[in-house]
Amino acid sequence: MNPTLFIGLDGATFTILDPLIENGTMPFLKEFIAQGTKAELLSTSNPLTPPAWISLMTGRNPGNHGVFDFIWAEERNTDVYFTLYNFRDIQSETIWSIISRQNGTICSLNFPMMSPPPTISGYIVPGLVSWKHLRRNIYPSDIYSDLKALPGFDARILAWDFDLEKKASKGISPNDYEKWIEFHIKRERQWFEIVRYFMKNHSIDLMSILFDGPDKIMHMGWRFLDPKCFPETPSDWEQKIRNLCLKYFRELDGFLAEIAELAGSDARIFMASDHGFGPSWQVFRVNSWLHSQGYLQWKDLDSMDETEHKSAKRLVERHFVLLDWDKTTAYARTTTSNGIYIRVAKGLHKTGVPENEYESFRNQLIQKLLDIKDPSTNDPVVKRVLTKEEAYPGTHNDQAPDLTVVTQDHSFLSIINKTPIIYRRPEIEGTHYPQGIFMARGPGIQAGASLPQLSITDFAPCILYSLGLEIPEDFEGRLPPELFEPYFMKNNPCIIGDPTKQPESYALSDAKANVDAEEEKQIYKQLKALGYVE
Amino acid sequence: MLESHLTKESALQDVVKILEDMTMDWDMDFDDSIGLNTKLIYDLEFESIDVVQFIVAIEERYKRRDFPFEKLLMEDGRYVDEIKVEDAVNFLVQNIKGD
Repeated sequence: MNPTLFIGLDGATFTILDPLIENGTMPFLKEFIAQGTKAELLSTSNPLTPPAWISLMTGRNPGNHGVFDFIWAEERNTDVYFTLYNFRDIQSETIWSIISRQNGTICSLNFPMMSPPPTISGYIVPGLVSWKHLRRNIYPSDIYSDLKALPGFDARILAWDFDLEKKASKGISPNDYEKWIEFHIKRERQWFEIVRYFMKNHSIDLMSILFDGPDKIMHMGWRFLDPKCFPETPSDWEQKIRNLCLKYFRELDGFLAEIAELAGSDARIFMASDHGFGPSWQVFRVNSWLHSQGYLQWKDLDSMDETEHKSAKRLVERHFVLLDWDKTTAYARTTTSNGIYIRVAKGLHKTGVPENEYESFRNQLIQKLLDIKDPSTNDPVVKRVLTKEEAYPGTHNDQAPDLTVVTQDHSFLSIINKTPIIYRRPEIEGTHYPQGIFMARGPGIQAGASLPQLSITDFAPCILYSLGLEIPEDFEGRLPPELFEPYFMKNNPCIIGDPTKQPESYALSDAKANVDAEEEKQIYKQLKALGYVE
Repeated sequence: MLESHLTKESALQDVVKILEDMTMDWDMDFDDSIGLNTKLIYDLEFESIDVVQFIVAIEERYKRRDFPFEKLLMEDGRYVDEIKVEDAVNFLVQNIKGD
């Protein structure tokens, strides 16, 4: 197999990378693009880390791979229960597995939803895992002692530390920003050391690493990075924070250069992001709007005793779970899904929209959403509303929201019970936009080329083709024919092969509804730290 | 190995093994051996995310995802404040028996 390197840059967008290349912050990336091919990479319908990275890994949209959010949720009696999606919930075969069963060796570092780790030929160090559980979630587990021996190794920096994430979510003082950015520089260095260790000590056909700092830096620092947002005459503090953001990207560029050098000139290098980024200037409180339109009824807190009332009030404000189900026909479960669920009177649900009225109800709701106007500008708030079939076509879309809402500024929906329904942010923040990045360089790849926009599902075929493997016939993505030189394609035709294999699973059932209230809170703390929930 | 019947002794052995493996590099004050009376929250300083990992580890050990964990985590409609190793052991024995 031709050595291939896959570098993930979480949330990376040309909106920020282009100016950083232009101003000399990222010289390696400048050289890389000049020697290779670039394109925009269109993310999943809801541009979110778990569904999007899994689409990159599986060549299939969330409707087929079955992961739509960080959180898996289900209505149970009178509550909505939550747990986290994990590897066992992925319903499509990943490239790691496809390559492994064709005798290739892979290394997957810091990718989300990779725990508990599958048995593959190679190595997995998963992302989004607490440092307390990192060792147990590494495959093979005995490799942990090698990693622990690396200079400067610190699991608390490398993996998730809830305390740090919690701290980061609390304040926005200049000190917090500085520490947060410096922390991510240290963290990327740790991952870089691990990449270097594997590249130097193990024979690997597909080396993969995800650097997730760009996402975290841009959530916090969009207004310092986007030339359109950064003031012409910045304050000393604003300039300092911008300089720190640039420092992060300069260091990242250095790591990328060293990794490319280690890979050697025979290797093909592919870079991609799961989604893009852009400015968010407003908040749409969707559940409050649904309430105002008569679709959703909050539970009556006044009928509860004092203790129950206090705790319920907190839950309603944050989790929206305390709804009066008998009087609710549509609601949003999580902010990260950007979705609305319609309650259909069916099976255990005695109340809700009659099944035969679902289509007309849904169409009416779509139209009402599209008609919402920002009272201060009279501009539409919602850009697009996608039905489940449009957003997530596939055999596993039963968990998908009935409607996916895309607002004008791509902000995550707010689900809390609060007014005003449309809220303008005091400062611009960064949020996920659909246009991510694709870049590739190496033998046979066109130099200096720019391709039309690709789909996120096209990435997996590129990786398999680079390794000399057939592309499974049930992949939704395709190899962009213009990516490789015509002579190379002629000598190495792209072959469509057998379909993917169903991932191994066991007794998949409804056992997910086992998350206690504390766990739920913890999950929310974690997501809040990332800016995904209020 | 998939279990069709589980004795209390082998369930204890499994739970202790899972917990020892989970906590081996946590820097805890607890320096006794993990046994039936060990408390997950008080002794092993479990946080909520650790409970999630404990559940996943049990599911992985027995290759099942259909354990009714609410019976372990809830009592009289409320979530429990503490889980003893013995609770987990009894839960497993009850739920693997006669499968």
